[in-house]
Amino acid sequence: MDDAAFTDEVIRLAGDEIRTCIQCGTCSSSCSTAHLMDNSIRRLIRLVLEGRRDEALSSDSIWLCTSCLLCTVRCPRGIRPKAVVSALRQIYEREGLRNRDEAFERIFMDQIRNKGRISEVLLSAAYALRNPDATVPIMEMGIELITKGKVSLDPGTVKGMDEVRRIFEGLEND
Amino acid sequence: MDQSGRTPRIGVYICHCGLNIAATLDVEELRRFAETLPNVVVARDIQFTCSDAGQNTIKSDVAEHKLDAVVVAACSPRLHEPTFRRTITEAGLNQYMLEMANIREQCSWVHMDSPALATQKAKDLIAMAVAKAALLRPLETESVPVSRDVLVIGGGVAGISAALDLANAGLRVYLVERRPTIGGYMALLTDVFPTNDCSICVLAPKMAEVYANPMIKLMTYSEILAIEGTVGHFRVTGVTKPRYVDPSLCKGCINECSGACPVEVPNEYDFGLGKRKAIYMAIPQSVPLVACIDTNACIGCGLCAEACPADAVKYDQQAEEFKLDVGAIIVATGWQPFDASRKEEYGFGRYRDVVTTLQIERMLNAAGPTRGDIVRPSTGEIAKSIAFIQCVGSRDQTVGNPYCSRICCMSSLKNAQLIKERYPDADVAIHYIDIRAGGEGYEEFYIRAQRLGIRFIRGRVSSVEEGEDGLYVHYEDTLLGKTLMKRYDLVVLSTGLEANRDAEVVGSLLGLSRRPDRFFEIAHPKMRPVEAHIDGVFIAGCASGPKEIQVSIAQGSAAASKAMQLLFKGEIELDPTVAFVDREKCIGCKLCVDTCPSRAISVKDTAFVDEARCKGCGTCAAACPVDAIEMRLFSDEQILAQIRAATAVKGEYPFIVGFLCNWCSYAGADLAGTSRIQYPTNIRIIRVMCAGRVDPSFVLEALRRGADGVLIAGCRIGECHYVSGNLHALQRVEVLKGLLREIGIDPRRLKIAWCAASEGDILARKIEEFVDELKDLGPVGTELVAALPSGKD
Repeated sequence: MDDAAFTDEVIRLAGDEIRTCIQCGTCSSSCSTAHLMDNSIRRLIRLVLEGRRDEALSSDSIWLCTSCLLCTVRCPRGIRPKAVVSALRQIYEREGLRNRDEAFERIFMDQIRNKGRISEVLLSAAYALRNPDATVPIMEMGIELITKGKVSLDPGTVKGMDEVRRIFEGLEND
Repeated sequence: MDQSGRTPRIGVYICHCGLNIAATLDVEELRRFAETLPNVVVARDIQFTCSDAGQNTIKSDVAEHKLDAVVVAACSPRLHEPTFRRTITEAGLNQYMLEMANIREQCSWVHMDSPALATQKAKDLIAMAVAKAALLRPLETESVPVSRDVLVIGGGVAGISAALDLANAGLRVYLVERRPTIGGYMALLTDVFPTNDCSICVLAPKMAEVYANPMIKLMTYSEILAIEGTVGHFRVTGVTKPRYVDPSLCKGCINECSGACPVEVPNEYDFGLGKRKAIYMAIPQSVPLVACIDTNACIGCGLCAEACPADAVKYDQQAEEFKLDVGAIIVATGWQPFDASRKEEYGFGRYRDVVTTLQIERMLNAAGPTRGDIVRPSTGEIAKSIAFIQCVGSRDQTVGNPYCSRICCMSSLKNAQLIKERYPDADVAIHYIDIRAGGEGYEEFYIRAQRLGIRFIRGRVSSVEEGEDGLYVHYEDTLLGKTLMKRYDLVVLSTGLEANRDAEVVGSLLGLSRRPDRFFEIAHPKMRPVEAHIDGVFIAGCASGPKEIQVSIAQGSAAASKAMQLLFKGEIELDPTVAFVDREKCIGCKLCVDTCPSRAISVKDTAFVDEARCKGCGTCAAACPVDAIEMRLFSDEQILAQIRAATAVKGEYPFIVGFLCNWCSYAGADLAGTSRIQYPTNIRIIRVMCAGRVDPSFVLEALRRGADGVLIAGCRIGECHYVSGNLHALQRVEVLKGLLREIGIDPRRLKIAWCAASEGDILARKIEEFVDELKDLGPVGTELVAALPSGKD
């Protein structure tokens, strides 16, 4: 995909208001995770409009968005920056550029498939087994949380597992 | 035949235009052809018809051959129609007894490579002109007396400027202002950019001049209730509200009465920062200098009446109705500030130290609530750090205001400078998206602000939060690429300008249109800056959009000058080329009322066209379902005669009849000619005033007579000379296409196109495309033959 085609695709997915961006920074200064991002949401939109595909897709920022939508509510041009992030995620995955937290996602999805919800403890534990170096710092916090009753070891199963199964079947058939 | 039953005698003059026409067209052949046409008693070919010699030939022919009508086959009527109208008037004919055949711009210049076909086309154009000329009627331009008085609505700086110019030129002016004083927002401002003059110091003399001028009747605290009539005679009804103070007795001392008044309310002239009494004077320089009692606040204690040394307080004062008869109206109803509390993330209304532009203007004003000190309203202490937040309620689609308010950059630059000059140690920052300093001396003003040490931070503020020690402003410095937070003592929201909601009544009484930004629309966004769509109504100042003081003053003067042009002679000439109603035929369906963009038609039992308002577009005539509306020029029978003459020979295939609007498409076709853009000879163009004039019967007649296609071309959508005629044309074409489909004619034979006067190339290309499309469709009627049972074999 060439650069202009990349811009066009993001615009198709996220709306042609993007072309009217005035780079005012309302989105990035409204963003709760802006301080963690390598490229602010504002800059991400600039990268998209300039067709800088590789820079945009390799940016951490697209995985740090919490979908709080404050950017979208406040944008004075009616742009949906969150939709831009979603579009970039979609292109990223379609292109086979796997998310580096792929393992995490798989564990996450398995738990949902089996129980209809996740258990923070089991999720963290399963993920820690694959990334032993990240285990120590989270164990401390885990113990603290368990002793305070903030997380439980067995979250149980949701009602309506049939429906959960149907959702998964539906997704997998897509 | 003319009215007397005599067959009209027509003279035809074919112009060589040097070689401009004669090099391509066989002008002698054209002359010989013209001689054979019905009613033509003399035909000549002339080197330059517009020369004195050419005009004299026409004049002597009119006398010698007793001509009733003249056809000039030459250049575009948009160029020389006025010339030849003058010629025949001098020869004793009515000026409307002229028809032109456009054989230069729309023939010789655009078909230079096909002289034979071009000559055939020119013959058709001449035959069409002669057919129309036989049906021309003399039309008299009627003059009607008008009132030379002018109503100016709104006493802000634009209205003041208009009123003074009119009065100084000797016209009587009624200046109506809804507030107790004139002066508008300008009277409340501190110094004004780019000179940093004291606002009231430069305005107050003008306000006093209004009061003193014997030609101006000033009506403050008054409102307009009804407006009837049209240009020259608007009948206006209004009311002056009671102030409960006799203006002839009040001395304007104000301290006596308001000192006695026990009631304090927030002062709207300080935008809520200060307080005033129930009996008050809006500003110290109020004009008229008369107190006013606010009945919403007054408790009726009677103390002011006791205190007044002049016995001016009159509790029994009544509202007074007034009636005016004016020839023109100037709408200078101004603007209203954006309500900053709508931007919740900035905390206006919640945090006391968040203020608006108008509040900081009042704070900076030596006569304002803080006597010129810049304080934190929460503590009353002098603010040491001040942030201006730009574009609050402007350039913001979330509040429905996508437009730039145009003055806020400059007013913040100015206020920041004033603060920095008064408090050199203060930290003053302007948070902006773009600084717009376009105007004489404006960029220099920006440089001055930068030199004073004001900080400019590029990035729109996302939110303001109140902390224990001040206000925290969140923003991204987009030039550094860093999201930041900074503490300030005071935050000034640079609020934008909105259309004045209080002016909506006046707008609907007059029938003014409004733009999507809700400001009043002017007749042309570029070329007619102070005219409304309604004749005799002018718009000045911020009523038609945000503007600076100097532009508002210029517009006030411009509107005054337009009103003077209209009324100075005491009579106006009515253009006779208007619509009229055959009351026998009219069924009173009112379809025409909604169609008319000039609001010229009213219906009681039958429709009535106000000829003073009608602009002659003819959209009503095309819309009338019973053909009860007719045009005095461009009449149905004239246009149908042109169609019949065009299709009489049909010397080409495919054959197209085109209807082009005078203002854009016909002018575009002329431009194609002057630019020598070549296109096929297949089209015969009929000039109409508006695409909306094209009656469905014209299209059907053309197709019935063997035209293979019909082209209707008008101004681009949104640019119609008559506002909405092209939209009506579009709507009609859609319906007509359905009808064609039903009777078995391919709807693609009818084409509608938009073409600006600057788009000769586009029009030429559209004609080319249409010719190709029609070649594919085959001659008209092919589809009917194909649909016959035998046609299937």
